Amino acid sequence: MRPHLPAFDHAVMDPAPALYAIRIHGHLGATVLSAFPALTSQGQGADTVLTGLLDRSALYGVLAEVEALGLDLVEVRQLTRHRKSPEPGDSRSP
Amino acid sequence: MATATPRLIDRGDLLDALDRAASTKVTIVSAPAGSGKTSLLRAWADRPGQPHRLAVMQVQRDQHDAQQFWLALRGAVRQASDPTSRAEPPTATPSFNGRAMVDRVLSELTDARHGITLVIDDLHELHSPEALAQLTRLLTNLPPNAHAILATRRDLPLHLHQLRLAGELAEIRAADLRFTEHETRELLDASGIALSEAGAALLHQRTEGWAAGLRLAAISLADASDPERFVTEFSGSNRAVAEYLMAEMLERQPDDVQHLLLRTCLLDRVNGELADLLTGRPGSERILLGLEDANAFVVSLDPERTWFRYHHLLGDFLRLELRRTLPKEVATLHRRAAAWFADHDQVVEAIRHTQAAGDWPVAARLLADHSFSLTLDGQGQTIQALLRAFPQGTTPAYPELALVRAADDLLHGHLDEAAAHLAVAERYVATAPPDRQRRLQVAIVSLKLWLARRRGHLAGVIEQANLLASPLAGQSDDDITLDSDLRAVALMNLGTLEAWSLGLPDAERHLQEGAILARRIGRPYLEVGCLAQLAFASGIRSFATTRQRCHEAIKLAERYGWGAEPIVAPALVTLAANLVWTGEFDEGERWLQRTAQALQTDTGPGIRQLLHLATGRLHAGRGHHREALEELSAVERLQSQLAGSHALASQVTGWMLGMQARLGMLDQAHARLAALDDERANSGEISNARAVICLTEGDPAGALGALADVLNGTAPVIGDVTLVETHLLAGLAHRALGDQRAANQAAERALALAEPDRLVLPFAMTGAGELLEALPRHDTAHAALLAEILDVLHGASPAANDQPSSPPTEELSPSELRVLRYLPTNLSRPEIASELSVSVNTVNTHVRSIYAKLQARDRSSAVQRARELRLLSAGRTR
Repeated sequence: MRPHLPAFDHAVMDPAPALYAIRIHGHLGATVLSAFPALTSQGQGADTVLTGLLDRSALYGVLAEVEALGLDLVEVRQLTRHRKSPEPGDSRSP
Repeated sequence: MATATPRLIDRGDLLDALDRAASTKVTIVSAPAGSGKTSLLRAWADRPGQPHRLAVMQVQRDQHDAQQFWLALRGAVRQASDPTSRAEPPTATPSFNGRAMVDRVLSELTDARHGITLVIDDLHELHSPEALAQLTRLLTNLPPNAHAILATRRDLPLHLHQLRLAGELAEIRAADLRFTEHETRELLDASGIALSEAGAALLHQRTEGWAAGLRLAAISLADASDPERFVTEFSGSNRAVAEYLMAEMLERQPDDVQHLLLRTCLLDRVNGELADLLTGRPGSERILLGLEDANAFVVSLDPERTWFRYHHLLGDFLRLELRRTLPKEVATLHRRAAAWFADHDQVVEAIRHTQAAGDWPVAARLLADHSFSLTLDGQGQTIQALLRAFPQGTTPAYPELALVRAADDLLHGHLDEAAAHLAVAERYVATAPPDRQRRLQVAIVSLKLWLARRRGHLAGVIEQANLLASPLAGQSDDDITLDSDLRAVALMNLGTLEAWSLGLPDAERHLQEGAILARRIGRPYLEVGCLAQLAFASGIRSFATTRQRCHEAIKLAERYGWGAEPIVAPALVTLAANLVWTGEFDEGERWLQRTAQALQTDTGPGIRQLLHLATGRLHAGRGHHREALEELSAVERLQSQLAGSHALASQVTGWMLGMQARLGMLDQAHARLAALDDERANSGEISNARAVICLTEGDPAGALGALADVLNGTAPVIGDVTLVETHLLAGLAHRALGDQRAANQAAERALALAEPDRLVLPFAMTGAGELLEALPRHDTAHAALLAEILDVLHGASPAANDQPSSPPTEELSPSELRVLRYLPTNLSRPEIASELSVSVNTVNTHVRSIYAKLQARDRSSAVQRARELRLLSAGRTR
């Protein structure tokens, strides 16, 4: 009974999963990490980076969790499938 | 539990900011979980001297149902505009018209005597794109005295740029909601926490002024032995703020509190009894009350403080913790909760928890058993969401769901899909255990009748209807409830089908039974449906009865706010048609407009045919032949979507031909005439059309020939309405042939047939004006009707008021009524006496009595009053 994100109006159909890195401020403990079973976590300085192969809906699901748990999202980055060269626009920060 | 209670502090600056924002049309408070949105709204609402009344609502968690959202919103608005209102609460219907709902809310906001501010909290929980679009419409059309404040965790696809450009949109965002260092200090002081300036600054810095973080910290600090050390440790930690503080707070709670929180976090809302059941321990209510008093992220939902919910952030953490530490208990907890909700008639919650427990077969059965009553409760979209929750591909494994899907398809007009799902369900019934077989059969028959009705197809279904004749015996209450719901719906559909195929006596009986059953089981929606169809079913039999039934159905519908819903459309359109028949064109037109409004969301071909037909008649009566022809053509086009033949099909065709002839489209009319099958071609309605064509072509003798079989009674006719037309056409033909005496006789016969229902339309549409003008008034027994018809033909709409303003002081006796009907004529009292074969004294007595009862001074005011009261026609029921 987890809340869903609303349907994105013009979501591009993108069936191929890609490797994403999601950076969150602060170290995450066992409880919060259990919300992201499909991702591996790594502490990087004061941040936690969650990494995993995600398709669009899985990605949005992760972002919804991050939101629901009041976590401090720093960056979302796609690690594979660069269109050209990575630009600042490829990542989203709050 | 903490000894000191962390208090909400008065955030004056923020409240002022909200005050300023609320002077615009719409204010959006958009900030992440735990930013203090709800607390701000509550504090603002409780502020003394609020100029506006507040309509406050909180969107339910994970709300997918547009109708449930709008009902809650409308309820809040109504409560705010008139707290003492005794009207029925907004009630759900299976056919939800979002557009009409927005219109209604807007008009309630406009009519409210005080300004109203609509406060919608947790709007991000609304997942219905339909509802969001409707909300956009509401917000951009708010009346001058209304405002709206929306609180949401994230920006929503509301398209409010117009408002933004106009400077009518204000936003309060996360940065505005952050606690300042000063406010942090105040919060700590108010919670009785002694912390140094440096400690407070550190805490503020570490939490970045995040409201939930500060409140969590305050709870832990309140009973920390060394608050300074707590803050130092916290700020030295690299852990995420929310998790650190949440874990700290939980750990500090006594065991029984932790035990309760973990085992009840799966619920959207919890009460003491339910919590006792889930924890296996008594005393839960006391704990919940204590948590709320301590401001520990638990809030009560009702003034009596029996139901509680957890702050979303706390709930989410607790669920993670439960799954991590007690994974094996999750399914059991869901099962226990499901059982409790099922016992307390909260079916949707019961199904959700059964699904969450992974008990799919049980969930399928529960949903199948209740889908019908949920549909009737207007929870169609909730059913869809529940269906979607089943794992993909379970339909074959749980064939009961085919029934649910069929009902869902029917509701949305997907008739082929519904038929396919019904076929699956039928195959399953054969293999179902005997104890379930019969009720499943009843369900299938009910749905088949519904489908047949939508398709206008009676044959092949009606013989199965005897299954509905007897209630199930020896079943549980649930079974009986299901059975009653199904039977009421089946009776409504059966009666409707029968009415459409002119099986009138059965139709009325079934619809009456349906209405009685619906009332008994408390289903006003079905009662309105049966009454509305009943009004239609009596449509061409007796106008007086019909009008009464129309008003009855409409009145009941209006009581529940369904005055413009598809369910009542048959009564609306029947009333309109009725008014058109009696020449009350303007009033009829108003009801036609209301019917069109009610049918915005229902594209069912049958009811649309009625709307076009009545509109066509109105145009015909007003002499707008081209418009009439267009409407009648629309009726024929819709016929292709229906399997059964329309009861009034020959009238539609006949009138179309007549309109074509009057418009000079004689070639088309002849071609169409030649293409008709014999049965249709020999009907009275087509004979009339043939006569119209002959008259247009200057062949009155041919016209009389065409009418011969109708006049001698051998041609089948729909009813007197056809015969009135026949006599008028015959009269016109005689007149054209120079035989005035025969013309007068024909006109008199037409008047005699028209008198009981006071039919005016046939006179208007046949262009019988000259014929009637030529009829000597002293030569007719129907002078009152004649006078009214001539009024209509000269452009006056009679009795503009459809319902009499006040009844006469006393009912008129039958003999008084007989005398009354001569008053509009120019006959003297002795002449009336001789017409009625009574003495002049008797007539004088009656006239005095009539004047007294109608409170009239003279003959003309008595006639005026009698017209208003609709006493001038000799109705059959009188």
